[in-house]
Amino acid sequence: MARAVRNRAETNWAYWSFITPAFVLYLFVFGFPIILSFVLSVSNYGGGKMFGGDPWSLVGLGEYFKLANDSNFWLALKNNIYIVLISVLGQIPLAFVLAYIIFRKIVRWGEGWQAILYVPAIISVIVLGIMWKMIFASNGLLADIINAMDTQTFLTSLNGLLANGLNVTDDFVTKLLAISDPRALTGFTNPLADIKDLILSNGYTTQNLEVFRSDMVNLLAPKWTPDFLSKQDIAMIPILFVTLWVWTGMYIIMFHANMQKIDTAIIEAARIDGASELQVLSHVIVPNLSGVLANAAILCIAGSLNTFALIWAMTAGGPMNITQVLAIYMFQNAFIGVPNFPLANAISVFIVLFSFILIGLTLLVERRYGGRE
Amino acid sequence: MKRLALVLALVAFAAMSLVAADKTVLKFLYYADSSQAGYADDMATWAKFKAANTDIDLQMEILFDRPYAQKLTAYAAAGTVPDVVYMWPTTNEASSLLQSKKMMKDLKTVLPADFLANFTSASLDPSAQTSKQLSELPQSFTFTTVMYANVGLLKSLGLSVPKTYAELKALVPKLRVKNVQTVLLPNADKWPAQSCLFSTISGRLLGDAFIDNVLAGKAKFTDKAFVDALAFYGQLYTDGIINISNVQMGYGDGPGLFAANKAAFIIDGDWRVGAYLTDKSNGKALIDPAKQASDFELLNFVAIPGEKNVNTASAIAGTGLGINKDLSGAKLDAAKRLLMYYYGKEVQTVKLETGAFIPTRTDVTSSKLEPLSQKQIKYYSTVPKTTYVLDGALDPTVFGPLNDGLQGIPLGAQTPAEVAALMQKAQDALPKK
Repeated sequence: MARAVRNRAETNWAYWSFITPAFVLYLFVFGFPIILSFVLSVSNYGGGKMFGGDPWSLVGLGEYFKLANDSNFWLALKNNIYIVLISVLGQIPLAFVLAYIIFRKIVRWGEGWQAILYVPAIISVIVLGIMWKMIFASNGLLADIINAMDTQTFLTSLNGLLANGLNVTDDFVTKLLAISDPRALTGFTNPLADIKDLILSNGYTTQNLEVFRSDMVNLLAPKWTPDFLSKQDIAMIPILFVTLWVWTGMYIIMFHANMQKIDTAIIEAARIDGASELQVLSHVIVPNLSGVLANAAILCIAGSLNTFALIWAMTAGGPMNITQVLAIYMFQNAFIGVPNFPLANAISVFIVLFSFILIGLTLLVERRYGGRE
Repeated sequence: MKRLALVLALVAFAAMSLVAADKTVLKFLYYADSSQAGYADDMATWAKFKAANTDIDLQMEILFDRPYAQKLTAYAAAGTVPDVVYMWPTTNEASSLLQSKKMMKDLKTVLPADFLANFTSASLDPSAQTSKQLSELPQSFTFTTVMYANVGLLKSLGLSVPKTYAELKALVPKLRVKNVQTVLLPNADKWPAQSCLFSTISGRLLGDAFIDNVLAGKAKFTDKAFVDALAFYGQLYTDGIINISNVQMGYGDGPGLFAANKAAFIIDGDWRVGAYLTDKSNGKALIDPAKQASDFELLNFVAIPGEKNVNTASAIAGTGLGINKDLSGAKLDAAKRLLMYYYGKEVQTVKLETGAFIPTRTDVTSSKLEPLSQKQIKYYSTVPKTTYVLDGALDPTVFGPLNDGLQGIPLGAQTPAEVAALMQKAQDALPKK
């Protein structure tokens, strides 16, 4: 009996000896910043030296109430939720299906596809953000492609009007206006008279029709601009797309590696029993990997809530903060304009709490519906 | 033998450490655009300073635009402001804490009076700085609204330089047929539209008295006059004078597009002259001097319908260097030497010649100015009176919604009245003085 007690004491001592240094280090690295962040969020600290600088004190939860009444905060939160949704409900299912296709060798050169899909994850997100920003820019690749098509359509119609040469009459200009982009006419007080006057004053003739065509394309052809990037909610679409594109490859690798651990005899048995590929996926693979899926979801949620660099590089949260997320909102309050450190810390505390809630929900779902690996 | 080598290496290391310990370490956060023509000359002046001051270990950190502002704010927030920093005179976002918390020394108590006597009296006015002391010595007086004009392009298209808003608007279709934008105002960074254009619009339509009245609680941003000024700004976009794509165009993209004849005008601050001059390190210029002379002009913004203060432009005491208030002894002496070198005739002449700015130091002249720099001086004479730059006059919590709104109005996401209401709400929330 005494020996058993001594053994248990030794075990406990050994356990705490091993765990304590790491636990203290963990508390220092992770716990302390969270606690300090909370303390600052309920203080009136205004920057400068924390100790020995201007005096500061605890003033209560005012910054949290301020957050609750701040439309920018709710907008940032909504955008973050979009990113969580595209990550959890986009990246994970897509990656899972693609990993399954590669695992089951439904496509050829599976390993090659895996490598290609993983490439975005190994490139700096800042570089990717700048690249996509250039693609979506008003004079970027996307706009160029669409404008080239629009220009072609306009030119075809214009050539129809010029079939009998250039004869600048009211009727000709009226037809010209009919094929023009209505937005190109908004700057004219009287489009018919103004454009007719412009054409006549520029001295176009049948001999220089090419110049006329080119000038009319510049002036009147539809010009597509990615103005959706300035509309609330819609502006997030390119960011969500890029988020999906960048990180899906990483989850493919994760799922594929875990699928390879599944005993193939189970899959073969299911197939012999008549299960389709879809049934194998839903009844064999998914239950076997529910823990991996839960971990992937946790990674997704954590990554989504602290997403910063990609959006900063693509839009910096603009225009007018409509692509702002919580991390950018926190950064702006801490380091741009007039720093409001208590508010910035309140945002970071909220991010931590919100992460805990979402991760808790994920674990609950996994426990309720997940299988056993 | 190995032991001897080890001992010698240790002795050498110790000796180097002692030499390093003798030096006064001076941390210097400096603002410079490495893509600007005068960058190499600028760096050469610092190399010269280092060579002439071997007792100072000058540790420079050089950044530009947004990264600079963020780094400086982070330093100030953490209470680790470098020994010498480049800063702004008011609560411009980068210098907000430095000015409002008086984190810098009053240079009037640091620099000798006979040295300061070389500068214009306006640059030494402490009331021009938020801290109400000489936290930095303004190296220039900055005009924030300059309409850089490509008159060569206009002439080639048979067009003339506009003097009024109506004339400017009339150019739009004539330029558009040649795929040329009328006015560039890259505003993805938010501040350019406010600092480089709207401040002048506000100054011309309302005057500084209106802003003073708002600050005193005798007027409101929601007053019709201010909302109309915002509406006029929006009209620049609906009239096609400024293309909507400018809202998402980075500040750094403007000069290249302008120099490449993609626009007839660009609205920017006078500090941008340097972007177009010859880079002496490689002999290249965004606009070569001959073209600067024949094809480009610096103009005052066109007359606005209903302007009360004719031809005025926004201007403000310029940026400069400041010294951390905690410095003393050898470090303070080193910082003082650095400032006296920087504001000395030699470096300020380099600044003048490279188009960085027109110095506030009164004895600086040069016969080697490129045409655009000469035109910059001429431009100043076209401005009869200067008006507030709003981010220098208003609290950052108030000009923040304005900066956002100057993106939101052209995009149709906000109305002028909504922007004005947000500004007034922020103004009302400020503690009463």
